[in-house]
Parts: sequence; C-alpha cells; structure tokens
Amino acid sequence: MTTGESTQIRTYPTALAFCITSFFWMGVATFMGLLGATFLIAPDLANNVSWLFFGRVRPVHVNMVLFGFVTPGLLATAFYYLPKVLDTELYSEKLGVTTVLLWNVVLVAAVGSLLAGHSQGREYAELVWPVDIGIVIVFLMVFVNMIMTVKHRREPILYVSVWYACAAVVLTSVTFSLGNVIWKPDTGALTGIPDAILLWFYGHNIFGLLLTPLSAGVAYYVIPRVVKSPLYSHTLSLLGFWSLIVIYTHIGTHHLLQVPVPTWLKVISIVDSVAMVIPVMAFLINIWYTAKGKLGAIHEDIGAKFVFTGTIMYFFVSIQGSMMALPVVQRITHFNNWVVAHAHIGVLGFAGMIALGGMYYILPRVSGKPLYSRLLADLQYWMVLIGMIGFTVVLTIVGLIQGNAWYNGETVYRVLPELQYYYVTRAMLGLLIFSSAVIGLYNGVRTLLSKPGEAVS
Amino acid sequence: MKMTPAAVIIGSLLLLAAIVLVVVYVPWATRHDAPSEIFRSRSDLEAEGRLIYIANGCVYCHSQSIRTIDWGHGAERIAQAGDYVSDQPILLGSQRTGPDLSQEGGEHPDDWHIAHFINPRYTRPNSIMPEVAFLGEDKLQALTAYIQSLGMTDADQRMQRQIYWKKAATDAYEAGPDENVKWLSENIPQGWRDLPNPYPTTDAGLARGHLIYQQFCIGCHGPVGDGMGPAQPWLYPPPLNFTILKNREISGGILYYQIMNGITGTAMPYFKRELESEKIWDVGNYVAVYFIDDSDANAEPHGIDAAYEPGDVNR
Repeated sequence: MTTGESTQIRTYPTALAFCITSFFWMGVATFMGLLGATFLIAPDLANNVSWLFFGRVRPVHVNMVLFGFVTPGLLATAFYYLPKVLDTELYSEKLGVTTVLLWNVVLVAAVGSLLAGHSQGREYAELVWPVDIGIVIVFLMVFVNMIMTVKHRREPILYVSVWYACAAVVLTSVTFSLGNVIWKPDTGALTGIPDAILLWFYGHNIFGLLLTPLSAGVAYYVIPRVVKSPLYSHTLSLLGFWSLIVIYTHIGTHHLLQVPVPTWLKVISIVDSVAMVIPVMAFLINIWYTAKGKLGAIHEDIGAKFVFTGTIMYFFVSIQGSMMALPVVQRITHFNNWVVAHAHIGVLGFAGMIALGGMYYILPRVSGKPLYSRLLADLQYWMVLIGMIGFTVVLTIVGLIQGNAWYNGETVYRVLPELQYYYVTRAMLGLLIFSSAVIGLYNGVRTLLSKPGEAVS
Repeated sequence: MKMTPAAVIIGSLLLLAAIVLVVVYVPWATRHDAPSEIFRSRSDLEAEGRLIYIANGCVYCHSQSIRTIDWGHGAERIAQAGDYVSDQPILLGSQRTGPDLSQEGGEHPDDWHIAHFINPRYTRPNSIMPEVAFLGEDKLQALTAYIQSLGMTDADQRMQRQIYWKKAATDAYEAGPDENVKWLSENIPQGWRDLPNPYPTTDAGLARGHLIYQQFCIGCHGPVGDGMGPAQPWLYPPPLNFTILKNREISGGILYYQIMNGITGTAMPYFKRELESEKIWDVGNYVAVYFIDDSDANAEPHGIDAAYEPGDVNR
C-alpha cells in the first residue's frame, strides 16, 4: 500500500448496503440452487406449480448468484477500498445508496420475471429487455461513482485494485449490452451460429471481465492489508491486469468446440484458454508472494481467510479450465455435470469466497461494530468450503459417468439411474451451502443490530 | 507503465473493441446463411411452441446440438450451421440432463408427447424431468408441434410415417383383439415370427427382465401387463394388453422384434438404441412368462446352446 490512509472514522453506507444486499441474496440464490437440486431427485415435488418449474428455478439460481450475491458482495468491498486507496471520500454516498436500492429493485424484477416465465432462453442472458436495461443502468451508476471518486482523489497513484474495479464495471456494461443484444428488445438474440458465438463471448466474460477482476481487486486490497506487507510486484500487477483483459476475452468459443463454428475461432479460443495461465499465475504469484511467510495473519483474520482460500480455488478452477478447453478432454466433459462442478469451483469457490471474505473484512469497519460471531463466520467458512469441494467431487464423478457412458454408446436415459445417489448427495451438499448462507445473513444482521461499539478502523 | 484513469478505462475499452471485432464481429460478418438440406421454416404453431420452450427453460436440460461423437446416442446426422439459420435465439444448450432433441421430431406420435408432458414418468419411468401439465392443453399442443418439427424435413418425413401407420394401427385396434393381434404379427418378417426365444427361462433372466420392464415399459403397459399404465388414458390406440395374447402364437421372436423396432404410429417406441440384445430377450421373456403365461423360451428350433445355458451339454 502506498497510500497514506486517513485515520478518521468514516461511514460507508454504500458499502454497507451492498453487504446487506449480498448476504440476503446469497440466501435466495442458494435456496434456488437447493430447490433445483431437489427437483432432480424428486421431479414431481413441484407438483405442476408453474413458477416452481425446474427450467424457471435454475436461471433464478444462476442470475441471483451472479448479480445478487457475488457481484454486490465484491462491489461492497470495492466501495470500501476505493476511497481508502484513493485517499478521498466516495464521490457520492447518496448516489451509491440509490444504486443499491435500484439494484435490489432490478433483482426482484429479475426473479419475478423469470419465475413468471419471461425468459429469453439464453444462458446468463435470460433476462427480458426492461430488466437488462435496469442492470446496465445500475452498472453505469456504479461506474460514475467510481470514476468520479478517482477524479477527486488525493493519492496520485492508482492502486491495482482501482484498475480492476473500474475496468470490471465499465467493460461489463459493454459486454452485458452486447451479449444481451440490447438493440433487439423482443428476442435479445442474433440469429443462428453467430448468436451462439456472441452468447458465449458474453457468458464467459461475466466471469472474465466481471467476477474475476472484481475478485482480484478485493484480494489485492485485503491480503496486503492483513499481512501488513507491500504488494510483491507492480510488474506482475500490470502483467496480470492487461493479460487478463486480452486473453480472457478470446476464449468464449471454447464452449462451442463441438459445434459448427469457424475453425480459426476455435483455435483462438483453445490457444487463449491455455494462455490463461499467464494472467492467472501473474495474479496468484503476486498475491501468494505478498502473503509468503505470513499465513498466520491470514488465518487469524476471517476475511483474509476466505479471500486467500478463494485464490487457491482460482488456481484450481483456472488450471482445470485450461485443460477443459482441449478438444480431447471435452469429448468426455462437455454437456455434462463436469462443467457444473467447474462452474461451482469458479463462482462459489473463487469469486463467492472472495466476496464473503471481503465482506467479513469490511463489515466491522463499515458498521463501526465488531463482528457478532467469529465462530459463526468460521462455521460458514467450513460449510461453504466443504459444500463446494463436495459439490466438485460429486459432480465431477457424475460428469465422468455421463461423459464416458455416452462416449461408450449408452443413451442419456440409460445412464439416469446411475446418477440418482450422486444427485441426492449433491442436494445434501446444497443444503449445507444454503444453511451457510443463512448463518452468514444471521451473523451480518446481528453484527449490525448490536449495540454501537468502538470502530475497528 | 503509469496507470492513469485514462489508461485503465480507455485502454481496456480499446482492447475490448479490438477483440470484439475479431471474435464476434468477424464471425458474424463471414457467416454462411445458406440453409442446410433439411431446412424448412416453422409454422405459426411451431413458432409458438418454441417460445414456450424458451420461456420455460427447456434448453437447460436438452441440447439441440448433435456432435460428431454422438454416434453413441444413435445419431444419424451431425448438426450443420445451416440447420440453425432461422433460430433467434439459437438453442444449442450446454447440458444434457435429458436427451438431445435436434432430431426428436417424428420419433414418437403426438399422443406419446402429450402423455410425456402430463407426467414424463408415464412414458419414461426413470425420467427426472418435471411435469409440464401446468401449461394447459393449448400450450402443450403448441409445444408438441414444436418438438415434432425438430429435425425439419427429416422430422416431417418421420411424422408422415407416424401418421400413415397410426391410421393402420387404429383400424386394427378398433377391429377387435383378434384382428389387432393378427395385424401386429403380420407386419413382422416371417423369420422373426418363427423364432422362439433362444434362451431358457431362468430366475436371473426373469429378474433382469423385471428390472427392464420397470424402467422402460411399466408406464404404458402397467404393472400387471394389462395395458393400463398411467399413460394409458392419453394414448390411442392404447397400450397392448398382454394378457389377451395367450394361445395366439406369440413367439419370442415377435416380442423381440416389436421391442427392438417399436410399432411406428403407436406410442410404442423402438428400444434398439437403449437395450442390448440380451435385455430385449429377457424383458420379452418376462412378459411371456408373467403376463401371457405362454413362453417358448429355449424351445425348438434352436442352435448350439450358449455356454452358460443349463441342460444337455450336447445341445
């Protein structure tokens, strides 16, 4: 940290409001996931209630994880660290809080419209046009607040977390508008194969240009603060940042390797998927060398513990992702639960863990009250970790069963009975993760409701 | 490198613009709009059904993307870019929790689909698909029309075959059990009709047949083989009542052929892609022993016994 941070006690209503949003929607999102997992083992449970139909519940789960839980959680920490590292006040807390309120309105509209059967049927781009517009507006509001804060900074040097936060928000405003084909309100889609190419360009950039840079921003802030060390390398920060933007944006077509898309595009996506090791390792080496020899401090701080675990999951999910882009691997892994396992390491294990860590780090600092219970936070940590790893193991096994059976000439229907017990285990792990979200919400609420104490700052 | 706000924002936007140009715009600008040889446009009802398919997220579990390696699923045709030229959005899907539907049109007659939508386990006992009955009759008709259009002109050809044989099957059913059984047997090649089940009735074989029956047959033919499974009210002609088949010269070969090949035009699908030979013989014999009470298992003529079969070593 190069900044001389002010020691005065400030309030952070925007960060706090994003925290509450994230804790709440984590509960909703994981419940929807649990519900979907339950329907896979008890398909008649929904009993013909239209808004409980699996195909409606699943996009609610995915969209609420992305836009309800993880993104607000990461933004909460960003709205805390931006004024800190820029040595200024947030440009407008009023705008910030308004953004969060509007954000929640958009989320409610998203859930309501999806459950009512209004969907554009494109993964990660299901939301109907008015909700799309709402999302673009809240992202632009966040961006205005960020860039104006940057403009009014007293610290001349932009810390790496600032790059990531600003780039994530502005780039996602663009890719979200493109990916949702916002100029075609009725279908929100292109026609034919180019629609698939655009969809996966956008879909992958939800991770590449939103969750990953926001998570990196949080890790770059929390880890050096907690271990009380300067960042290991400015050069690695630069390499990690620019290579992420260049390489991650090229790889969406690895979702379409078995589809008739142009071969040159497939080649680009495979080569860049393997090249993802550059931004990933640049970031991880930077963080890990900063923390080198100081893991005790990380273990002691619940926020840093979540964040550091998230960086380890980032390593696993990224190396796995590079391997999965190889056509020979995809022959088995494509179209089955292997990919679902991969997505859960990425979004829950990496971005979700870091979002939770960032929020646990800032919660006492933005509320001016000590964390209600470290024990409950630790419990949540272990429940998420065990749930997520259990998920990965179970769904990877399911994926291997499916992929190998199909490749061996068995039909989808024939393989279903083999998967039942794994689906049951998966739903039980989902219950674990949902319970952890309830514990986190409880812990957060009790922290805020506790009697005013000394600020930790 | 000095990271100014302009460098971060404008730099990353310029990079994004260049990359979008390469990986999104160029593929779009160089796309081939030529329809494939099976392409046809959708009727209004099929288009309406497609919207229902989209609104309810069917795409999350059903791909519409047959790959070169999908021979395992019995794929006869690999998907081409020209198949999708009118699809907005394209519905390739990302997961096969259920089967791929690219060529589903005409694989089953309409009534099978309605029964399947009312409760998927009626026609597919192991299915984990949720009930779709909440859509109501009109929307189920539209959805069925859409599913029957998947595969385009290939699907149309299959549908014509379904319609042609449905009439014949209905006439036969309405002419009474004698005529119906006669018609069913008539359409089987003589070689199969003369063929007894080559394997003996064993406890193990019956246990295997029982399991297969529960996983594939019970929804239509019912637990006691009387054709009164839960799908029955939705299907016409209704599922066959096996208990009327005694003394009607139903050989093991006839049962095998019907299970393997299905009865096009009726809700009876072909199972050749899902059941290996032994499983078909076993489930056929299970039906013969328990429901028809008339099994020709291991009867003459037969060749040299398989090594595992009990009985004379010189048979």
